[in-house]
Amino acid sequence: MRIYETAVKKPITTVLIFVGVIVFGLFSVRYLPIDLYPEIDPPMVTIYTYYQGAGALDIETNISRILEDQLNTVNNLKKLSSISRDNFSLLTLEFEWGSNLDEATNDIRDVLGRVESWLPDGVEKPIIFKFSTNMIPILMMSATAEESYPALAKILDEALVNPLNRIEGVGAVSIAGGPVREIQVNVDPQKLEAFNLSVEQLGTLIGQENMNLPGGVLDIGSHTYPLRVEGEYKTAEELNQLVVGNFMGRVVKLSDVAVVKDTIAKMTFDERANGRTAARIIIQKQSGANSVEIAKAVQAMLPDLMKNLPPDVQLETIFDTSEFIESSISSLSSTILYAGIFVVLVVLFFLGRWRATFIIILTIPVSLIVSFIYLYATGDTINVISLSSLSIAIGMVVDDAIVVLENITTHIEKGASPREAAIYGTNEVGLAVVATTLTVVAVFFPLTLVSGLSGIMFRPLGWIVTLVVTTSTIAALTLTPMLSSQMLRKNAPRKRGAVKWIFDGVERFLGGLDNFYERTLTFAVRRRVLIVVVSVVVFVGSLFLVPLVGTEFFPPSDNAQIAATVELQQGVNIDQTRVVARKLEDLILEKYPEVELVSTSAGSAQEGNIWAAFGDNGPHVINFYLKLTPSTERERDMYLLSDLLRTEMAAIPEIEDFRVDAGGGDGGMGSGASNVEVIISGYDLDETDRLANEMAEVMRGMGSLRDVDISRKASGVEYQLVLDREKLGVHGLTTAQVAMALRNRITGMTAAQFREDGEEYDIVVRYDEQFRESLTEIENILVPNNQGVFVRFSEVGRLEEYFAPPSIERENRQRIVRVTGTLYEASIRDVVADLRDSFAQLEVPAGVVMDIGGTVEEQQEAFADIFLLFGLVVLLVYIVMASQFESLRSPLIIMLTLPFAFTGVFLALLVTGQTLNLISLIGSVMLVGIVVKNGIVLVDYTNLMRDRGLSLIQAVVVSGKSRLRPVLMTTLTTALAMLPLAMGIGEGSEIWQPMGISIIGGLMFSTMITLILIPVVYTLFGANRMRREKQRALQMEEEI
Amino acid sequence: MKTVFIAYNQALTEKVEFVLDKLNLRGFTRWNQVQGRGSVDGEPHMGTHTWPALNETILTIVPDEKVAPLLERLRSLNSKAEMQGLRAFVWNVEDAI
Repeated sequence: MRIYETAVKKPITTVLIFVGVIVFGLFSVRYLPIDLYPEIDPPMVTIYTYYQGAGALDIETNISRILEDQLNTVNNLKKLSSISRDNFSLLTLEFEWGSNLDEATNDIRDVLGRVESWLPDGVEKPIIFKFSTNMIPILMMSATAEESYPALAKILDEALVNPLNRIEGVGAVSIAGGPVREIQVNVDPQKLEAFNLSVEQLGTLIGQENMNLPGGVLDIGSHTYPLRVEGEYKTAEELNQLVVGNFMGRVVKLSDVAVVKDTIAKMTFDERANGRTAARIIIQKQSGANSVEIAKAVQAMLPDLMKNLPPDVQLETIFDTSEFIESSISSLSSTILYAGIFVVLVVLFFLGRWRATFIIILTIPVSLIVSFIYLYATGDTINVISLSSLSIAIGMVVDDAIVVLENITTHIEKGASPREAAIYGTNEVGLAVVATTLTVVAVFFPLTLVSGLSGIMFRPLGWIVTLVVTTSTIAALTLTPMLSSQMLRKNAPRKRGAVKWIFDGVERFLGGLDNFYERTLTFAVRRRVLIVVVSVVVFVGSLFLVPLVGTEFFPPSDNAQIAATVELQQGVNIDQTRVVARKLEDLILEKYPEVELVSTSAGSAQEGNIWAAFGDNGPHVINFYLKLTPSTERERDMYLLSDLLRTEMAAIPEIEDFRVDAGGGDGGMGSGASNVEVIISGYDLDETDRLANEMAEVMRGMGSLRDVDISRKASGVEYQLVLDREKLGVHGLTTAQVAMALRNRITGMTAAQFREDGEEYDIVVRYDEQFRESLTEIENILVPNNQGVFVRFSEVGRLEEYFAPPSIERENRQRIVRVTGTLYEASIRDVVADLRDSFAQLEVPAGVVMDIGGTVEEQQEAFADIFLLFGLVVLLVYIVMASQFESLRSPLIIMLTLPFAFTGVFLALLVTGQTLNLISLIGSVMLVGIVVKNGIVLVDYTNLMRDRGLSLIQAVVVSGKSRLRPVLMTTLTTALAMLPLAMGIGEGSEIWQPMGISIIGGLMFSTMITLILIPVVYTLFGANRMRREKQRALQMEEEI
Repeated sequence: MKTVFIAYNQALTEKVEFVLDKLNLRGFTRWNQVQGRGSVDGEPHMGTHTWPALNETILTIVPDEKVAPLLERLRSLNSKAEMQGLRAFVWNVEDAI
């Protein structure tokens, strides 16, 4: 017994199986986490090696090169790059997508273990890092304060960080930018000199005095008592009374040589929100946790926590990923809803029967819910990718049900009982339904094989559409005939009233359309050559549209964030930087009402901070983060605003360099514009510097590039204390002693920890600020030798000025300089061509090579993948069709629609001002499967008519007329379901807009062409078929 | 009106149909995949492992004057491959609706 026969005969079983599927689907939905994107682990490993005191050049030769040479042998390595800066080396190993990072990390550890002995002494152990999307903060807040500012970090730590950490799924809560309490012992060097004391002595003494020690136990009588010394400081004032030495018979107290201050550490970092002093609170999630739920839990907890905060402390959300996720998800959900409504309307319009419409619509939820089971089973999340896959699938799930139901209705109208009609009707079209599904699967299944970054996006798309469409076919072969057998009746005449009037009108319109099409087709088959020539001209003509459309990698989407980095002249100190930061803040807040929040951080976090190694950092650098009002509520988009900001910044003389990243530049997919990198590789630093500068000039001159930046910063001034070893020897000093003494006096010596309420604060001894502000004062520093004799720095060395490159970048074991630019309203292809031309005109010495990188590199890889995929898909679809028709010729006729689908894509993209990008290309690949469906229906029926003995022209016209409605219906359901996606309603859905547009454009245009061209070409090939028939008859005659 | 009953090896299906078409004989009833064996010689067509071939039969009612050309063509068809097996039998039609 066949599946549809069983389904019709066992309605209860059928219904219950589908109920079971739905229940399981709903169960999955309940446990599915919601996220913006699928989890992405970029295949990158970073190695950080710290070597205090070494310059960039030393780091390059002694660490980066050695590590590079050895790590080059690691398996699957794609790119090896390094940055060598003062004090540290940062190596980045990029692997092929999909390679096993755990294995790679193990390999790297092995290599590091081998190499370690070759590295210079004093190098710290290299640290290995892996990145993942989980490290991107899900929530960032700023806390502003006035009076409570000095204690802000502590207040936040107690009132916010600890309670928030207890929320399930929160990975880490950290505070940045708040002031830190510090007990400073500011020494006057002249007084120290007078009393014959040194900073080291003070430090050691302060450390020794700050001590609690148990002395043991004391037995008195029958009892035992513990005995202890409690010397730890209770207050900072106690320090003043410390006796630090004797001078001429009198005690010297600490207050005699230094000022003790209980204050906050000097800020090398200035954090503001909308111009108010602030600290930043960063919340990260644990891997696999639900971002939306965590953000909600945090937001729910905040009002309670706020009560514990002093009244002047205010919290403001800088960004909350859950907001963006929720609005994206809800806009996609409504997209799916609209798509559903459109499908209902189309079906009702063509069928004009409520019951039939209901049966068809029922396949939508049944099919879609299967995708949730898939997501649950694979541990995926509900995200932008999975939801858009659903909205792409929704237009296709009703197609099979439509074909089956239409045929069953025809049988019922011929007088069959609903039950028999359901069985025979399904039998007739069953094979065709399976075949059309197979063509769609042939398109979407290969998507699951795409690798790389695009693979992460398109693999779920491939799986979901494949599963949903397959389920819809199963439903069309079981649920639809079963419901038809139970619900359909022979059509009774309609009752009178508005409904009758509407449906009769629709019926008349459709009848008119049928007749119009018949006339057009009759005309077309008589002028075959004309039609073919016109079609070819249309297609070839459309190819000329391609340059007009332009290409780019990824469509940018407006996520209402702008990040900007401003650099002042190298060496400018934090106070000056702060002034500029305030000026910019005021300007932004005043001129741009779209900006909701300006969060500014100026200066560097902390010296030797590992995170500082990854970004631009320094006292002269300001980082801005602007939060804009939602994209739907403003006229100017973030790209325009960014461009205006650039003009503003260019006008401020203090600013040496700046870059503005629309979209926040967090590397998230779909945000930010694409960039072009000119990579100049060569060993000679001066030559490559010159070329980089010349290239940067050229790029700034091109209107299509913004934010042109050279990766190798200009050499900065630094002072070195050059020591004379001979003199050192005479005075009984060593370099280490002198260096340590210098550090203790300038940076300070952390002598002890001051404990209060369970918190520890540093007690730092150093020269008072006024005694470390000039070179003379440095040269006058006194350092005691082993005999206790004080020696001045100027006696053993002198200060010298140096220029040194602050960083050296290498890629694949060659020194490189990158000149980067952000693309602005231009096609990447033209820009690359221009860049190559202008580089060729520069004077390039031997051994220096230029290469184009950045997004272009990724783009070319992804495009290559897509074209490969396209070829695969076309082949698969051909195989599927050829096996269905058992003919090599019919699929060829059907495939003639494909070029016109592309004509439609180009036209639609041009009209809507979109570009040819990854998403619209994927849309075009999908078109291959969708577009041929119409052709299959048409050619299949024409073959049938020919078999039934109609003449060629007659067969073509009759089948065209009879298939017009099903073709229009499936086309309209697919296209209209895609419409909400193409309009890009709501935040976050803009990414998919080009796909929607290209599918609608391609489908509509190719359908129009299909309806005329395919019958015409069929008649051309059909003549062939007649000749074949005649030959066969002759042969038969001979044989008899 | 005469009844012609044709029993033949499946392999000849297309050719027998072609003969009918050639003589403009539209109506027939056909049983496909039937078993049978000849009275005199030839291989049985039983659809079994031993005798894998199968027969097909056609029953067609033709005007008297068409019987002779039909039989003649069938005979010639049979003579081309005797081993395939084709037999035709003719009898009268008593009445019809």
